[in-house]
Amino acid sequence: MVVTPWQNDLTVELKEAFGDQILELSTGLGQDYLVAGPESVIAILEHLKLEDEYDYLVDITAVDWPDKPERFELVYILYSFARNHRLRVKTRIAEGSHPPTAVGVHLTADWLEREVFDMFGIEFDGHPNMKRLLLPEEWQGHPLRKDHGILQMDNRWVQENMGIDSGQ
Amino acid sequence: MPEATFLDASELVLNMGPQHPSTHGVLRVILKLDGEKVMGTECVIGYLHRGVEKIGENRTYQMFAPYVDRMDYIAAVSNGLGYCLAVEKLMGLEAPPRAQVARVLLTELNRIASHLFWLGTHALDIGAITPLFYTLREREEILKIFENYCGARLTTHAFRIGGLQYELYDGFEREVKALCDWVIPKIDEYEELLTSNRIWVQRLKGVGILNADDCKAYGVTGPVLRAAGVKWDIRKALPYSGYEKFDFEVPITHNADTYDRYVVRMVEMRQSVRILRQAVENIPAGPIIAKVPKVIKPPAGEAYVSIESPKGELGYYIVSDGSTQPYRLRVRPPSLINLQALDRMARGCLVADIVAIIGTLDIVLGEVDR
Amino acid sequence: MVKLLRTLFLVDLVQGLWVTFRNQHPKHIYTEQYPAERPQVAERYRGAPRLNINPDNGQTLCIACDLCSVACPENLIVVTSERNPETRRKELTTFTYDTARCMFCGLCEDACPVDALELTQDFEMATYTRDGMIWDRQMLEEGPKPKQYKY
Repeated sequence: MVVTPWQNDLTVELKEAFGDQILELSTGLGQDYLVAGPESVIAILEHLKLEDEYDYLVDITAVDWPDKPERFELVYILYSFARNHRLRVKTRIAEGSHPPTAVGVHLTADWLEREVFDMFGIEFDGHPNMKRLLLPEEWQGHPLRKDHGILQMDNRWVQENMGIDSGQ
Repeated sequence: MPEATFLDASELVLNMGPQHPSTHGVLRVILKLDGEKVMGTECVIGYLHRGVEKIGENRTYQMFAPYVDRMDYIAAVSNGLGYCLAVEKLMGLEAPPRAQVARVLLTELNRIASHLFWLGTHALDIGAITPLFYTLREREEILKIFENYCGARLTTHAFRIGGLQYELYDGFEREVKALCDWVIPKIDEYEELLTSNRIWVQRLKGVGILNADDCKAYGVTGPVLRAAGVKWDIRKALPYSGYEKFDFEVPITHNADTYDRYVVRMVEMRQSVRILRQAVENIPAGPIIAKVPKVIKPPAGEAYVSIESPKGELGYYIVSDGSTQPYRLRVRPPSLINLQALDRMARGCLVADIVAIIGTLDIVLGEVDR
Repeated sequence: MVKLLRTLFLVDLVQGLWVTFRNQHPKHIYTEQYPAERPQVAERYRGAPRLNINPDNGQTLCIACDLCSVACPENLIVVTSERNPETRRKELTTFTYDTARCMFCGLCEDACPVDALELTQDFEMATYTRDGMIWDRQMLEEGPKPKQYKY
């Protein structure tokens, strides 16, 4: 996608507040996004909510790029009712790292982060209830990772809990 | 509201299990009760998890479109619209005007059908059995139009990337006009049955209040947000597929309780009929599908597109790496995020109100679990 | 005073009951007596698949191009063919379609260039075994023959 730099008074304000923790401010396909370092994401979310009226967290999701050293890309999609503008905040984290939770800033993040943990195995520090959401609690494996096959499942759990010997 | 504490000896933990007629699917709610009052709830979901996002990474873009209908299966057409709009954004395509108006027509029909089904099941949960029969009878007429158009009533697969596959059949405009004229007196009939009925009012007024700040904090959208007084509809705020050409109103009320959500959805049905009447008057001539290559390979990039589904904001975040299959396909389900607010709405009410609150959130478990 | 009377005499409840009683008239009966009367399905209905046969010479219209099995999201169509040495064209030998996994999306029907594979208006496809749901070429050409009951 054709990426152009994004600049307006909001980006100037963010650059002033966070300086070099914001790695990129761009627009692709007409949608604005910013890339930040993993430690500063929560501070940026809080700043955006309190100062810039981005009070609605639309979604939290992750994308798995297994070839890159920082494997997961966490994406937070925010929307501002007052400005009628949607913004993506992205960050890259390595496997095994524990990013801080966004529950203190937006209450929506509760189940959204549980689902990211369930599907990708990314644990969020400080989350009140870091359990699996969609899959059973004792399930092993994180399905949306790229090394997890599409037909692969936790055969041990199925055999124990459902009594199906083949695991299918 | 009193907080739930485990030191309370009179606390009862009750399981409103996955097999329950009023939970609108396989939803398990663990209730912590003090007598009849609810102290806290916990939702256990995932009984209908089919791994739609993982399937999306293993199918081509055209092949994935039928899977999308199976998520929110009550309003299947709007799921397809969101997906096609997201892929078209990645490809840089736009559907021709005729296709856009046809999409609006089918999506609004689908919105009326979804709200009718909601009304029937919600009334059934409260105890009014008759509206269920009547709303499903009305819904039959809309499903007949879907069947005449694309061959299936529920999992329609109506839209393709770039437009529509099938031409509108002869008699489509006549049937839609007849439906508009026929369904308005029926909506009046439902209001006659329910709106001033004392049982309905007493069961719903003051139950499950979620004010505007809580809605925004929990990310709740759709009629729940509009009943709290926030006049926000994606069709007006970030229009798609030609909605800016149609004249309709976004209903809001201010009490943010269950009764208000009922009022908002009834008005939304009438506004949908208004859009249908405007759209069916002048459907532009022209091609029904844009020039789309046989093998759809969007350039590498990512896009988030959302639409106003009958349940709330349904969004698709698609990451493409330039191949024929999506690299990551994320669906932002409105029902899951609305369901999160159940705990907030349910504190301090009675057990019978839990059923009313689950009904008013209008969740479809296919979308919650995907 | 009017309000007290309305509450006392259950006016709002009677209003709702009157709607229900109005709908008891026989002309409002909506139930279809299936299986005595078969429902009218639309012309474009996506039901049971069928392999069409050319009416003029009785041969199959399928040219064994395999586009339908490429288009199927579930990979449940298996087409085998052999090359006819005289006409140098591919001829269809077997065609296997698994209706158990089929979601009747219509992508195979849209992909077929010669309108050989078509989803018909048949919806009565029940069998007693799982294997009976895997249709071979003969079953596809003839279609399911559901038992007709006489009342």
